[in-house]
Amino acid sequence: MLRLGSSHRRINAGMLAMAFVLSLFAGRLVQLQGLDSKVYADRAERQRNTEAVVPARRGTISDAGGNVLAMTADARTIFVDPTMVSADKRQAVAALLSRALNIPPGPILEKLGRTESQYQVVARNVEPGVASALISRKIRGVGSEPTYRRVYPDGKLAADLIGYVGQDGTGLGGIEAAWNSTLRGQDGRQSVEQGQKGHRIPMTRSSQQAAVPGTEVRLTVDRDIQWEAQRAISEQVAKTQARSGTVIVMDVRTGHVLALANAPGLDLEHWEKAPAESLSNRALAEVFEPGSTNKVITAAAAMETAGVRPETTFVVPDRYKCADRVLRDSHPHPVQHLTFAGVLATSSNVGTLQAAERVGKQGLYDFMRKFGFGRKTGLGFPGEAAGLLPKPETWSGSQVCTVAFGQGVSVTAMQMASVYQTIANRGVRVEPQLVAGTVDGRKRFTPAPAAERHRVISERTAREIARMLEGVTDSSEGTGAAARIPGYRIAGKTGTAQRYDSDRGGYHGYTASFAGFTPADDPRLVTLVVLQDPKKGYYGGDVAAPVFRDVTSFALKTRKIPPTGTAAPPLRIHAAR
Amino acid sequence: MTSLTRSPSLARRVAGVASPVWRMDGWLLAAVAALTVIGTLLVWSSTRASLAGAPSGLLQRHLLNLCIGLGLGGAIAMVDHRWLRAYAPLLYALAMLGLLLVLTPAGETINGSHSWIVIGGAFQFQPSEFAKPALVLGLALLLAEVREDDVRPRDFDVWLALGIAAIPMGLVMLQPDLGTTLVLVAITAGVLILSGVRMRWIAGLAGVAVVAAVIVWQFQLLEAYQVNRFMAFIDPSLDPRGAGYNSRQALITIGSGEVFGKGLFNGGQTTGKFVPEQHTDFVFTVAGEELGFVGAAAIVGLLGVVLLRGLKIARECEDRFGALVASGIVCWLAFQMFINVGMTIGIMPITGLPLPFVSYGGTATFANFIAIGLLQAIHIRERSYG
Repeated sequence: MLRLGSSHRRINAGMLAMAFVLSLFAGRLVQLQGLDSKVYADRAERQRNTEAVVPARRGTISDAGGNVLAMTADARTIFVDPTMVSADKRQAVAALLSRALNIPPGPILEKLGRTESQYQVVARNVEPGVASALISRKIRGVGSEPTYRRVYPDGKLAADLIGYVGQDGTGLGGIEAAWNSTLRGQDGRQSVEQGQKGHRIPMTRSSQQAAVPGTEVRLTVDRDIQWEAQRAISEQVAKTQARSGTVIVMDVRTGHVLALANAPGLDLEHWEKAPAESLSNRALAEVFEPGSTNKVITAAAAMETAGVRPETTFVVPDRYKCADRVLRDSHPHPVQHLTFAGVLATSSNVGTLQAAERVGKQGLYDFMRKFGFGRKTGLGFPGEAAGLLPKPETWSGSQVCTVAFGQGVSVTAMQMASVYQTIANRGVRVEPQLVAGTVDGRKRFTPAPAAERHRVISERTAREIARMLEGVTDSSEGTGAAARIPGYRIAGKTGTAQRYDSDRGGYHGYTASFAGFTPADDPRLVTLVVLQDPKKGYYGGDVAAPVFRDVTSFALKTRKIPPTGTAAPPLRIHAAR
Repeated sequence: MTSLTRSPSLARRVAGVASPVWRMDGWLLAAVAALTVIGTLLVWSSTRASLAGAPSGLLQRHLLNLCIGLGLGGAIAMVDHRWLRAYAPLLYALAMLGLLLVLTPAGETINGSHSWIVIGGAFQFQPSEFAKPALVLGLALLLAEVREDDVRPRDFDVWLALGIAAIPMGLVMLQPDLGTTLVLVAITAGVLILSGVRMRWIAGLAGVAVVAAVIVWQFQLLEAYQVNRFMAFIDPSLDPRGAGYNSRQALITIGSGEVFGKGLFNGGQTTGKFVPEQHTDFVFTVAGEELGFVGAAAIVGLLGVVLLRGLKIARECEDRFGALVASGIVCWLAFQMFINVGMTIGIMPITGLPLPFVSYGGTATFANFIAIGLLQAIHIRERSYG
C-alpha cells in the first residue's frame, strides 16, 4: 500500500473547494431565476415583442351608379436582403428578378450591393400571382410582403377628380385627400415575437387587432357623362390648340356635379411624373377673368335694384368713356337702340356697363358676393381657390365698368357654373356637391347631408334672365347659335375675356367660355365650358359653344330628359325709336 | 491475468469478459448518461430550425459523435490503465505531433480558431482536445515515480513535468487558443498539487502565474477581443451590443426561465437566436430558459456528481499513477465546467470553452468520453492489485 497521506488531504480539500464552487453556482441560479427572474423575463419579453401595423384596405370611390372609379387591390412588395446574397450570386439573382418582374437588372444589382442593409425594395405593386411564382422558387435573400395598390378600372376617367394616393396609401389629391379619413379605414395592429434577426418566432403568442376597411365614397358624377365631357373637351383643346379646358355639368335642382372634366388630364398610374398644375383639379384650382358670362350678375343686380326690365331701352354707341378709359364693344357699330334683352343677346359691353352704372359699385359687389364669388364652395376640395373679388373701395375708376362685363375679377370654373345653376334654379343657389354619400361594408348607402340652399335673386328676375339668355342662342343676332340643340330650349351666355397670363405678367390671349342650361323653361342641366388661351379661334360662341352642345345633348339623353315641347315667347332685341 | 487451469463454460467466459462492466462506478456512469441525454435535448432544441427553416442536421451529427465517443470511452474503460502507462509516452508524442500539424499548412481555421485539421473534407478534428488526456497521462507518468518510502515527487521530476506541460501550452498558445491553454494550466496545477509536491513549489508556481498574468496584461500579449471580453465582464454596460452582448443575453435568457422554465422547445429567447453559439459554448442558457431553475440546478448537481465521484476514484486508487490520472481528469473537467457555467451566469469572463457532456462537439466529445473511460478503468482495477 502506497503512502498518500498528503495527496489524500489535498484531494479532500479539492472536494470541498468544488462543492463550494458548485454551491456558489446554485446560489447565483437562485438569484437569476428566482429572486430577479421577473426583471430578466421582462427584458426578454421586451426585446422579442414587436408591433406591426396591419394596413386597412382603402375604400372604393364609385360614380353615382356605383361603378368603380378607384379601388384597392392586393399587391406585393418584392424586397431583397443583400446580406443573404453572396457577391458571386448577385448577378444571377438580379438577372432572375429582372426577368420575373420585367424591370431592368441594373438597379437590382446596385441594391444587392448595399450589404449594410437587410431590406431593399426591388419592386412595388407586383401582382400577387407573379410574386408567389417568384417566391416559390425559394431564392435565398428574396422576399415578398403583402401591400395594397390603387387600381383605376376606367384608366384616366375622372382622374384629377379622384386624386392621387401616395406610396403609404394616404390620399394626397382630389377626393382621395378630401375624404381621406373616410376612405382610409382604421389600421389594425399585430404584435408578434421576433427573433434576433427579425424573423417571427414560431409557436409564440401573438395578439391581433383586425383592420377596419375604409368606407366607399360614392360621387355624384355620372361615369358616362364624365366620359363624354372628357372626350369633348380633350378634342376641342387639341383642335383649338388651347392651353387647357374645363367642362362642368351640374344637376340644376340638387347641385350635384354630374361631370367635371379637365384637359389635359391626369394619369394616376404615373402621377409622380405629371406637371404640378395637372395634379390639382383646374376647375376648382385655376382662376380666370370670366368675361361676358359675368354679365348675368350685372343683369340680375340691375333688375333687382335699378328697376331694369328685359324691354328697358338702352341707347348704345360702340364706345363709351368710363373714368380714364374708353371701353369698346367687340365689333364697331353705329349707335343702336337695344332692349336690355338685346344688350345680353348681342353681348354688348357698352350696354352692360350703362346698366352697371345704375347699380353702382357696392350693388355689383354685393351681388357677386351673393352668387358665391370670392370664397370657396362647400366642396372641401384640396387646392380649391376662392377667386379674386376685390372690395369696391379698392376699385379703380374704370373697374366698376370692367367688372360689369367680367374683367378685373377672377373666378373658378366651379364658381361660374354655380352662378348659372342659381339662375336656372329660379334664383335659389344650391351649394355644389361632388359626393352623393357613403356605402358601408354591408352595402348600406348613407346619403351625404343635403346641400345648403338659399335664395339669391327673385324667381321673377331669374325667369326673365333665363328668357333673355334664350335670346343668345335662338335670336339671329345672338352670339351663341352654335350651342343650339334641336328640340330643346337653351339658355346660355358666351364669354370671350382677355386672359391674364401670370407667366408673362400681363394680358395675353383669351379665355373662351359658354355657360348655359336647358330646358330653358324648366331647367334640369347646367353646363359650363371654358377654354384657356385657344389659338385656333377664340370667341366663346365659336370654340366653347360647340362643346356645350355636344356634352349637354349627350347628358340630356343619358338623364332621359325630354324636351318641354314649348316655344320660346318672342323677345325684342331692338327697341322702337 | 490468472492462468486458466480449468476450461470454463462459455457462459462463464462471457461473464468474465463482461465482468468489468459490473464493477464500473454506477454514480459516475449515471451522471454522465443523464448529462448526455439532457445535452442532446438542449442541442436539439437550439438547432431545431435554422433561420431559413431548413433543419441544420447538427442533432444527427451530435448523436453520431456521441456514439463514437461512447465506443472510445467504453474501449478505454476495458483496458488496464497500467497498460496505458506503458504507452503514455507514445500517446503524448502523438498528441504533440497533432498540435504541430495544426501549425503547418495542414491546419485549418474554422469559426475563427486555427485549431483544426480537416481529413477528406468532411471529418474535422481538433488535436488540442487530445492534448488534454495526453498531458494528464504524461504528468501522471512522471510524478508517479517516487522513491521507496517517499510520498513526494523529486524536484527533478517536477521540473520535467513542467517541461512536458510547457510544450502543449506553447503550441496551443500559438494557434492561439487561450481557453484550452488555461485548461492545460489547470491540469498541470491540479496534478502537481494532488501529487503531493511541497508547499514551496505550489507557492512558487502561483507566484510565477501571477507575474505571468501581469506581464501578459502589461505588454498586451492578448488579442483585443480577449481584453474586451474581460472588460465587458468587469462592466457589462460598457458595450452592450458588442463584447457585453453575449453575457447580457445569456443572463436574460437564463433569468427569463424562472423556476420551472418555459418547457423544452418553448424558449422564445432560444428560438429567437438571441444568444450566439447557443448549442456549443452557451448551451447552459438553453437549459436555463427552457428547463428553468429546476433543470439548471439539476445540471449543476450532475456536474458535481461527476467531479466528486472522480475525486473519490482518485482518493481510493491505491496506485499512484491511477490516482494522478484521475486527479488530472477531474481538474480538467472541473475547470471547463466552472468556466463555462460561470461565464453564462455572469460570474466569469467569457472564454470559448464548451460544457463537457452537454455542449455540441466532435473531438471535444471524444476527449470527454475518453476521460470518463479512464476514470472507469481506474475504478474497475483500483483493488485488483495490492
